Amino acid sequence: MDKASHLGVVLDLSPKQWHLAAQPSNPHPVTLSVFLSHLLAFLNAHIACKDENSLALFGALPGRSAMLYSSTMPVNEEEIEPADANSYRPFKVMDSAIMKHIAEEIEALGEAETEEPIGFVGALTKAMCYINRVTNGAGSTSSAARNDDPAGLADPRILVISVSPDQSSSYIPVMNSIFSAQKLKVTIDVCKIFGGESVFLQQAAHLTGGSYIDIDRPDAVLQYLMMSFLPPPGLRQLMSVPTQDKIDFRAACFCHKNIVDIGFVCSVCLSIFCQPVPVCSTCRTKFPIKTLQRLNASRPNAAPGTPARAATPARAATPAAPANSLPRSTSINPHAVPRNASNGSIGAASPPMHMNGGPR
Amino acid sequence: MPSVQDSNTEASVAPDTPSHLLLAFLQSQSQNTLTRLYQRPSSCLSIFRLLGPLERQIVMNLLWLESAIPASTMAAWVSHEVRKSYENSLSILSRLHVLPQSTVKLALNPTFKTSLRHAIVGGGSSGSFGVPATRDEKHSPPSIEVLDSYALERWETILHYMVSSGTATRPSQGVLFLLQRSGLMASVHGGSLQITSLGFQFLLHSPHAQLWELLLQYLHMAEERQMDLVEVLSFLFMLSTMELGREYSVEHLSPTQTAMLEDLRDYGIIWQRRATSKRFCPTRLATTLTSSSPPLPAAGGVSAGAQNRGFIILETNYRLYAYTDNPLQTAVLNLFVTLKSRYPNLVVGAITRESVKKALANGITADQIISYLTTHAHPQMRKNKPLLPVTVQDQIRLWELEKNRMKSQEGYLYTAFASQADYEYVLNYAKQLGVVLWESSARRCFFGTLEGHPNIRGFIERRTAGNA
Repeated sequence: MDKASHLGVVLDLSPKQWHLAAQPSNPHPVTLSVFLSHLLAFLNAHIACKDENSLALFGALPGRSAMLYSSTMPVNEEEIEPADANSYRPFKVMDSAIMKHIAEEIEALGEAETEEPIGFVGALTKAMCYINRVTNGAGSTSSAARNDDPAGLADPRILVISVSPDQSSSYIPVMNSIFSAQKLKVTIDVCKIFGGESVFLQQAAHLTGGSYIDIDRPDAVLQYLMMSFLPPPGLRQLMSVPTQDKIDFRAACFCHKNIVDIGFVCSVCLSIFCQPVPVCSTCRTKFPIKTLQRLNASRPNAAPGTPARAATPARAATPAAPANSLPRSTSINPHAVPRNASNGSIGAASPPMHMNGGPR
Repeated sequence: MPSVQDSNTEASVAPDTPSHLLLAFLQSQSQNTLTRLYQRPSSCLSIFRLLGPLERQIVMNLLWLESAIPASTMAAWVSHEVRKSYENSLSILSRLHVLPQSTVKLALNPTFKTSLRHAIVGGGSSGSFGVPATRDEKHSPPSIEVLDSYALERWETILHYMVSSGTATRPSQGVLFLLQRSGLMASVHGGSLQITSLGFQFLLHSPHAQLWELLLQYLHMAEERQMDLVEVLSFLFMLSTMELGREYSVEHLSPTQTAMLEDLRDYGIIWQRRATSKRFCPTRLATTLTSSSPPLPAAGGVSAGAQNRGFIILETNYRLYAYTDNPLQTAVLNLFVTLKSRYPNLVVGAITRESVKKALANGITADQIISYLTTHAHPQMRKNKPLLPVTVQDQIRLWELEKNRMKSQEGYLYTAFASQADYEYVLNYAKQLGVVLWESSARRCFFGTLEGHPNIRGFIERRTAGNA
């Protein structure tokens, strides 16, 4: 039970969102520097729990992502102020390395770059790659580490700290990351500081067994972090951690990247479209014209003139069915989903089958 | 002295026993001592690391709260099935005086809270993490390899001395005294020291457990030597939070701690260039005190590396191949294996009835043998499931049962009764007392326990006196 655990942190460093979060007009304004001091205390506490606990911090910046710190990073002695008797040196080394890298990354941001979408998926994927490397790859380099702990690192997890709203364009990569996380048995926790509910992150936390917490009082974020995100998954069976009571399962369509309440799913590859299409853009399956007409007619305030004329009826293909005909449920079977993922010919993983968000 | 403490790592929560030897010792200390100890952030951090996972989480939940919270609020976070282990954790914390005894409100001991906060976010001016020495112009600080081989050499000297029962290189007087005090070795007829059955068991423990057992004994001794326990403990904790390969200054140590330097140098826990040197270095034995990484490093060439990796191959035919050239490991194996031949890097032997019986006679248990074989199994063996051949495991256990077939009990044999009636009369009395272990009416004798003897004797004497 008392094994070392690995924590990967994905930190959203969008300058625009942090600026908005710090506005005094917010009920509880929070500035990046205040938040970072809380975060560092939390990271120190993670290392304090066990000497062998490891850590990796990734920053999501506009247009790119970067590794800010990892436990295996070589320490540059000259950069860090000399050791003193009043602080535990590993904490000091870690804190100064993190602060230095964050400052460097933010300095390096150009004026034009700040408007680019945040490189969240990149950071999440890098965090997962890192976990994959320390759990599987470590065996070849240091056999001693594998011997001590044959099962690799016990319950690795990722904490996503988000201040930005969803970018619907990144739906497919986020979903793919979630499925990889499931495969790696990585728990994704989400700490939402600012920027409204995030549909994708809710799903990420739900599907990997993590917790999604929208923080009401960002000025007291340390207590949230300590109580909800410090215990490793093994301990959460003892000390319960808040979970979501409702999860937004809506998906984004593949054609316009909009988050849809009602979607149309290709019956072959499970791609999602916001309107009936004659040919699936992913797997090139052609749908019969009759069903297209029927579907168009059944849509609430269906827009007339859907390009149904180009469709050549194909007998083999089953028509795309409106997703809202499926029974409404608040939980989906996470195991059913990755199995279908291999069908996507462009590598797009299939989203969860239910997209009926209903009236929200 | 508790047996193998690694057994505690299983998820089952042993009732009311803290997961670490030292915690039990700390619980026996007065509140005053503990509060003084908690004034140092390094001690708080080390004690925090020794706690079990659930206790750690409880401490962390409470650490940043300014006011006490109702106990019921905290209990609401605990899932129902584990309420028992939660309450157990609370009682451990309250016996450590980390959580003051209270059923209504929960809040950390203010001293502990302040110090642990300082440990985590830095600050304070206690200097409890050790004052680093200024750069030495003449000598560069020792490399980690030097420290590792020093620690290994010192530690193996102690163990090797034990295993050879006093014929190998003698460690220093302080170590000898400690070994004797802890009952690991005993002097026979005032002569040389001989290893005891406790000592044999000690040899099969993990280095981490061995180290703590010795240190705990050291703490008990410190109490008797009128050393200030808080100083001793906080120095150990300070060592455990120091950085390997860095030199620290002795100038800020208290007199007690300066005196400890010499003892700890003998155990291989710290390194000093000269006994009078103004600086010292903790070795890996010190810096891993509160973690679970191996305290004896992969240093000193092939042999020590092999030690960490595991070196024993055990076959179903009871033959054992140990890839080692380390005399200590060979000597430990010799405790329960009949060694057949020895090559430069390989020792071949067999587990036989005689060798195991010899080990059992020394007080080693079958479980200890099996756990030693398991922890030191060669990586090749790790592919097997189960790790050790079942036949061998079962046979070792059977040999142990065989030993338990006979039970000895001290007592008295009563014979030569004048008549059958006499015999039966006394026997009846003894039976009423429930002290008869064996009887034979054909031979007119019976065997009674030691405790029953005064009564039976008195009874017979009264009877003969009455008859006369």
